[in-house]
Amino acid sequence: MNMHSKTDLRELSYAEAIREAMDIAMARDERVILMGEDIGVYGGAFGVTGDLVEKYGTDRVMDTPISELGGAGVAVGAAMTGLRPIFEFQFSDFATLGMEQIVNQAAKIRYMLGGAVSVPVVMRFPSGSGTGAAAQHSQSLEAWTAHVPGLKVVQPSTPEDAKGLLLAALEDPDPVMIYEHKILYKMKGHVPDGYYTTPIGKAAVVREGKDLTIVATSIMVHKALDAAETMAAEGIDAEVIDLRTIRPMDRDTVLASVRKTGRLICIYEAVKTLGVGAEVSAMVAESDAFDYLDAPIIRLGGAECPIPYNPELEKAVVPQVPDILEAARNLAKGRV
Amino acid sequence: MPTEVIMPKVDMDMAKGKIMSWHIAEGDRVSKGDPLFDIETDKAAMEVEAPADGILHHTAPEGMDIPIGTPCAWLYAEGEEVGEQPAPFAGQAGAAPKPEPVEADVPNDTKSVEAELELVDAIAGEATGKVRATPRARSLASGAGLNIVDLIGTGPRGRVQELDVENEIALRDTRPAPLAAPVTFKAETGALAVTRSKGGTGTPIMMIHGFASDATSWAPMEAHLKHRPLIRIDLPGHGKSPKLRIDSFAELVREVRRAFDDLNLDAAHLVGHSLGGAVSIALADTRAKRLSSLTLIAPAGLGPDINGDALSGMCRATRAESLGPWLRSLVANEDIVTDSYVRLAMAGREDTNLRAAQSCLADSLFPDGVQAFDLRAALERIDTPTRIIWGKQDAIIPWKHALRAPGKMALHLFDGVGHMPQIECSAELGRILSSSL
Repeated sequence: MNMHSKTDLRELSYAEAIREAMDIAMARDERVILMGEDIGVYGGAFGVTGDLVEKYGTDRVMDTPISELGGAGVAVGAAMTGLRPIFEFQFSDFATLGMEQIVNQAAKIRYMLGGAVSVPVVMRFPSGSGTGAAAQHSQSLEAWTAHVPGLKVVQPSTPEDAKGLLLAALEDPDPVMIYEHKILYKMKGHVPDGYYTTPIGKAAVVREGKDLTIVATSIMVHKALDAAETMAAEGIDAEVIDLRTIRPMDRDTVLASVRKTGRLICIYEAVKTLGVGAEVSAMVAESDAFDYLDAPIIRLGGAECPIPYNPELEKAVVPQVPDILEAARNLAKGRV
Repeated sequence: MPTEVIMPKVDMDMAKGKIMSWHIAEGDRVSKGDPLFDIETDKAAMEVEAPADGILHHTAPEGMDIPIGTPCAWLYAEGEEVGEQPAPFAGQAGAAPKPEPVEADVPNDTKSVEAELELVDAIAGEATGKVRATPRARSLASGAGLNIVDLIGTGPRGRVQELDVENEIALRDTRPAPLAAPVTFKAETGALAVTRSKGGTGTPIMMIHGFASDATSWAPMEAHLKHRPLIRIDLPGHGKSPKLRIDSFAELVREVRRAFDDLNLDAAHLVGHSLGGAVSIALADTRAKRLSSLTLIAPAGLGPDINGDALSGMCRATRAESLGPWLRSLVANEDIVTDSYVRLAMAGREDTNLRAAQSCLADSLFPDGVQAFDLRAALERIDTPTRIIWGKQDAIIPWKHALRAPGKMALHLFDGVGHMPQIECSAELGRILSSSL
């Protein structure tokens, strides 16, 4: 029996991959601790931390009170004083309550103390719609933190990257924000064994193509890949880029692809206006890749409204595969 | 529904056309593009093509004047029942009165949003002179030495895209190399052609046209000057004048002065356009006593700049497709230069010897696309009452050259007008010329 190939084919869910990353990190570095609401005995609102409290005890897997500001503040302080905390916001929506610690403290301290102190905190944000949890539990607010210098912001779309980016985040001396999509937690995929990192700031070309470039984030990567398969049958060869990190953004990968295809669609679940796609579009428009554009850039993003509770409306307000197909067909056939 | 065959507007100042002869008999079949009938305008005869496939019925009688834009026959589809003539010919006895033209701001419910957008684009494009093209198309075109202005866009709202540039490059590669402008021509001798209008009283108005034009270009303005005797001179190598060898501006002036002297006029109002304006300045400098006034329309001779590409482009053009873009660059509102008009103008330039003569003249007067003669000193000397008229959208000679004229001269600047004020705002010019003569 070939043990090696069996290892290669090992599949985990996205949530399991994150748990494995935390487990590996805690086993190899005792400075790593977990903090968050209901992450101990309960195992986390989405079961991501699972039974880690049994393995590492309540000193290293700490339930925090229902105060995001307090919890995040303790995590920032712990990071400043030598620990490597991973702080879980139960829903990314609740991070609004901890913004003072994220924006004014974690992001600023290295600069304000002349580089004498850094804040190696990792924060996890379960985000996105599709769970029927309505307006206050379904948002995609990654652009909020991505707007702040001093923070790094990643959005893994696969189990493999969820593990690799979390381990990379722990190696990083500065605060790293990880936006995980709640719908992806159950998604299975190949996850390499053992310790590895996925580089922060590096996008992945997940499908090569020549007719148009789709830059997508998080769950939209999968919708884009679905759409790309259908397009391929129609003779449209789409290149799909998983941005993976939105700050700092992988300019080279995106621009090289746009130079090749001359057409760009940006797809993200967050509200379209002032979202990640706006930054990608502007980056292209400001670069030499502008000269290679053969059509206007298209952005597909969330509608200008809170996520509705009604399941049909919930689907309607974020880009779906048919929306991507329509945009891509129009773009490839020179109709826009 | 039968297809209407419309009397086309082939000439800028044409109101109606006379049907000279039908190529196709009533009841016969035609294909789209077949020659259908000949028309005659004030200037030329022209062939009109069938607008669609079909069987020809209800043709207007030969010799009948048909107002432009109105039907002169109908084309029926195979098997379509041919009943009464769908409408009488406009102007025919018993014809329903033609509705007054609808003002543009009257809302038109049937107009689609897309048509509106195209209209907006057309207006915006007209105002900015900009071409809708993707960045990729622009960089490809510039790399291939193509002018984006010359490309036909097939993208949304006429946008030039990569494919359009690639098609143009492929087409260029299969097309025979354009003939270099002939540098030699068969020089002729003789006096310049001078034509006079019938009627009119008082001091005559003498007009000298511009480069690559001829005396007929004054027609729109002449319509507003009927009370005066009019005299037009064709420059050498233009219109009906012989193709003289002209190697310098001084030689050109000498020929025109000779024609002027032969007329033995006691007095004349002199009007010159563009190159004709420069010649007029030189003439006024030496024949001041016999000129009552001088009117310079977008005159050459006041500065170095001139659109050399347009001059050589017009000389070089051997077909309507290549002449059209340059003719359109002469005016601010390109709509007045219709495809039919371009074909007519090309017909007048079919004589290769004429194009060669004009090429040589352009090479002598505007070497490397520069006005090689400077008439500012001459203009300073002129005491004849002088006015300068210029269109502010002139793309051939910058209107700001007008600011180099001495302060004693009047200046009329027209917004939304290009290099051809005598055509683009002929009524205004007629009024200006009439008011103080």
